[in-house]
Amino acid sequence: MNIGIRDLFLISPELSVIVLAIIVVSLDLAVRRKGVVIAVAVIGLLVPMVAGVSVWSDIRTTGADTAFNGALVVDEFALYFKFLTVTVLALLFLSSSEYASRFHPFQAEFYGLLLLSSAGLMLLPAAGDLITVYISLELASLPVIALAAYNKTRLKSLEAGLKYLMLSAVSSAVLLYGFAFLYGATGTLQLVSFDPAIPAIGQMLMNGESSIPFGGVAVMVGVVLVVAGFGFKLSIVPFQMWTPDVYEGAPTPVAAYLAVASKAAAFAVVLRVFYTGLDPVASDWSLLFAVLAAITMTVGNVIAIAQTNVKRLLGYSAIAQAGYLLMGVAAYVGSGPDPELGIEAVLFYLAGYAAMNMTAFFVVMAVTNRTGDETIDGLAGMGRRAPLLAALLGLALLSLTGIPPTVGFIGKLFLFNAAINADMLWLAVIGLLNSVLSAYYYLSVVRVMYLRESDNPIRITLPLYAWAALAVTSCAILVLGLWPGGLLEVARQAALNLV
Amino acid sequence: MLLSALIFLPIASALLVLVLGETQQRARQIALTAAIAELALALVAFVGYDTGSGGYQFTERFDWISAFNIQYLLAMDGLSAPMVLLNGILGLAAVLVSWNVKDRPNQYYMWLLLLQGAVMGVFVSLDLVLFFVFWELELVPMFFLISSWGTGRREYSAMKFLIFTFLGSAFMLAAMLTLYFSMPSGERTFDIMALVGRDMANLLVPTWLIFAGFLIAFAVKLPMFPLHTWLPDAHTDAPTAVSVMLAGVLLKMGGYGLLRINAGLFPEQMADFASPLSIIAVVSVLYGAFIVMRQTDLKRMVAYSSVSHMGFVTLGIASVAGTGTSLSSVGMNGAALQLFTHGTITGLLFVVVGLIYERTHTRHIPDMGGLAKQMPLIALGFMVAGLASLGLPTTSGFVAELLIFLGTFQVFGLATALAAFGVVLAAGYILWTAQRTLFGPSMARWGSLTDARPVDVAAMLVLIIPIFVVGLYPSVLTDVFAVGIDPIMAGFSLVGFGG
Amino acid sequence: MILELAHFQILAAALFCLGLYGVLARRSAVMVLMAVELMLNAVNINLVAFSAFRDISIVTGQVIAIFVITVAAAEIGLALAVIMRLYRRRGTVNVDEIDWMKG
Repeated sequence: MNIGIRDLFLISPELSVIVLAIIVVSLDLAVRRKGVVIAVAVIGLLVPMVAGVSVWSDIRTTGADTAFNGALVVDEFALYFKFLTVTVLALLFLSSSEYASRFHPFQAEFYGLLLLSSAGLMLLPAAGDLITVYISLELASLPVIALAAYNKTRLKSLEAGLKYLMLSAVSSAVLLYGFAFLYGATGTLQLVSFDPAIPAIGQMLMNGESSIPFGGVAVMVGVVLVVAGFGFKLSIVPFQMWTPDVYEGAPTPVAAYLAVASKAAAFAVVLRVFYTGLDPVASDWSLLFAVLAAITMTVGNVIAIAQTNVKRLLGYSAIAQAGYLLMGVAAYVGSGPDPELGIEAVLFYLAGYAAMNMTAFFVVMAVTNRTGDETIDGLAGMGRRAPLLAALLGLALLSLTGIPPTVGFIGKLFLFNAAINADMLWLAVIGLLNSVLSAYYYLSVVRVMYLRESDNPIRITLPLYAWAALAVTSCAILVLGLWPGGLLEVARQAALNLV
Repeated sequence: MLLSALIFLPIASALLVLVLGETQQRARQIALTAAIAELALALVAFVGYDTGSGGYQFTERFDWISAFNIQYLLAMDGLSAPMVLLNGILGLAAVLVSWNVKDRPNQYYMWLLLLQGAVMGVFVSLDLVLFFVFWELELVPMFFLISSWGTGRREYSAMKFLIFTFLGSAFMLAAMLTLYFSMPSGERTFDIMALVGRDMANLLVPTWLIFAGFLIAFAVKLPMFPLHTWLPDAHTDAPTAVSVMLAGVLLKMGGYGLLRINAGLFPEQMADFASPLSIIAVVSVLYGAFIVMRQTDLKRMVAYSSVSHMGFVTLGIASVAGTGTSLSSVGMNGAALQLFTHGTITGLLFVVVGLIYERTHTRHIPDMGGLAKQMPLIALGFMVAGLASLGLPTTSGFVAELLIFLGTFQVFGLATALAAFGVVLAAGYILWTAQRTLFGPSMARWGSLTDARPVDVAAMLVLIIPIFVVGLYPSVLTDVFAVGIDPIMAGFSLVGFGG
Repeated sequence: MILELAHFQILAAALFCLGLYGVLARRSAVMVLMAVELMLNAVNINLVAFSAFRDISIVTGQVIAIFVITVAAAEIGLALAVIMRLYRRRGTVNVDEIDWMKG
């Protein structure tokens, strides 16, 4: 095994993120002013961005490439998520600098851990074998455990950290057990080798020459365990119970990171594993995902209606949104017409979801940071106290509901398209009815902001760079809603790598 | 670009009024200017529509989301031209009756103008997805207008309105996407012009399911019994201008959709559904009329009379396909005309009720009496609207209902007779209400009330003029509608009706 | 008796289920962590057994097992830090009592 310059070039975005993490943490020792650290972190993110662009322009001409003997696949699909992660991270840094000042004197470590975790998230969609999946997943999760418990004087934060840790550990074990079965059945951990290996098992069983105990069942058991293991990361029912607790307890920027970046990468790796590795048994998992999608969105939406804490509400909303996204994963058509529609819809929706969810979290972060009140009623009177913030949160919530002309509507339209294209009209109808259900609680928040009066005189102001982050995310909601064509084409090119 | 201007003039003015209209004076000036300009544009479009050559005119066609062949496609035909004019007229009336709004006038007028722009979009969009986008876009302004500026149980009513319409449109979206994916890969389109006359057999699901999906959305909006329950609540609690818009143009979107999509694209299914529709129509007419009698709230009374009158629309549309032997467009022409006339008449009724409420601060009928003495002009307006509503000759109400009965009599004899009884009931309840509120012994507590101001007279005149113009010279509209309805009739004869 | 692949698989399955039971039933956070370790080791046995018994020239099974052991150590380190902090604040490591969020 030899590592060449080319391998390093192909993972230069991740490498530069890790180097940046080290720089940020050690700079903190030398520099007294915290603003410098943040500035370095944000501006430093340009390096992975540039590295990503140069890798992208390289594989545009030479085609998709693999690094480290196939352990990493560098294609447009993987790059799509690298750009998404870095963008999300930069916006998160901008908006949370004020919030993070409460972690004094450990702010730099806060950014460092986020950077390390996102290096894992950037590697995940590029995973070419199951070892890489596992290692990147842990690289992404372990820093988040520390981050969730970062607010170490707050019991809820410690509880969130502990819960995330327990469930993440259990889900990793379940996932690995599934990997073990797949490995035992196929004799390989490389995703691309699954495709010939899995049908070969069936052939061997038919000829009665199988040497594998439980040979036929092994793949099925493996698939079910892998779905369960990933189910935790995707927060789909019945593996969703940690989500609301962690969202409520963890520091708000960490909750936003989990809801947006972590979820996007989890969907990416699921798409990668199931569409390139396990597509020979697609008829089994596609129906499984479809049923889980229907249950997940319904459960998330129904429970969300009863919530009184706004972060918890966003947690249940994230579960419901995972259900919508799962529709796109389930919409496997194989060699049927337009096989890329499902993946393409998931990729597009993830970008839109990032925009709308970040807008919501940023506003909630700004408000709760000032008022210390995390209940929905604490948002009362926002329409008068902070009209612009209220309008932006309203826009994000309308987008999450799926009302035009926002990206939430267009994204859902694509997901429904994919479901119908895969002959799952029933799933699309359930999704549509769920949108109606979700309108109730999303608009209830809007109602509280505009119709309830508040005697709380606190005016909510934001630093300039937080406004900049909000401006980017909220403009993205509208721009992607009105002109989705460009991003959709990029998503389509990325999706074509998997079909 | 005329049609784009029609849509974006109100939307641009909405943003303008939000920014510049901090004071009530400034806000209503901007809004009034915008509404007058919009009406002028609508008149230009209406007069400019050449009935001689017919068909679609002022067409604007751009690719919007080319991956799914979704277009920005605007056009006007004989069916939409009068609706555009109606929207222009009612928009002006709505601004005029809002003259006294003091609470956040800039936001109020912004939502009102956005509403008008969205409805305009519904009437001129010839691409199903674009149609849907405008259809949903109108929900947000309505939600805010009712919940923020309404009276009584305004939040409940706003949410009920939103959930009902959203639920209906969920079925519409499922229907249109299924229709799209049912077509062979190269011929998929959302273009209504191209879909007219297409063979609607052999879709992914039975055609009647798709037909029903659209029907539910339009039936909620129209509204048809038993999907009407949101209407009385929304009307009662909405501010006057919103009641005017709701009764005047929003309900018309339902009738317009029935004509444009259900009858236009699915003549065969329309024929199959004609008898059940006629029964629903008669039930709506009679149920609405009987419930009106029991009402003591003026606004609720007018709301239920809308349910009754919209039943005539359904009956007229159903009459076309009710029989296989003779095909006559009279009933459908009547239905289309009823859409326009009911818009102006009920709009006027709500204006008058609003003016009375503004002065007496009650809508409870038994509390009133002899109001004609204090406010003769308002009483005059009430009488014009009332008499037009019960179908007095020389008013537009007479022409529309006469046409509907002429068309339906031969097809559904019994249904027509029963529906005609609804007219008798209407005469009863309108005259009875007028007698109880306007005439009779005058009450001392109302002695100090003032009559309509010039601006109120203007609001009434805007609506009274079309009532008489159409009543005396109906062909100004019927000629245009006929041009729009001819292609629909051609669709029916194509599938073997009227042979 | 000759040990076959199936025996290892049964052992692994038994260990995994034991671990899962521990995760669900144990009250002490430390015991839950130990149960998770049990699950991970079940996986390791499975991986190594597959790697050894199947005719595979590259020992990927053993390699991933070593990765699993390493990562698990890191996980435990982090977990104990959080649990310590909780114990200092609250004087308990009982997961039932560590539940301040409702809903």
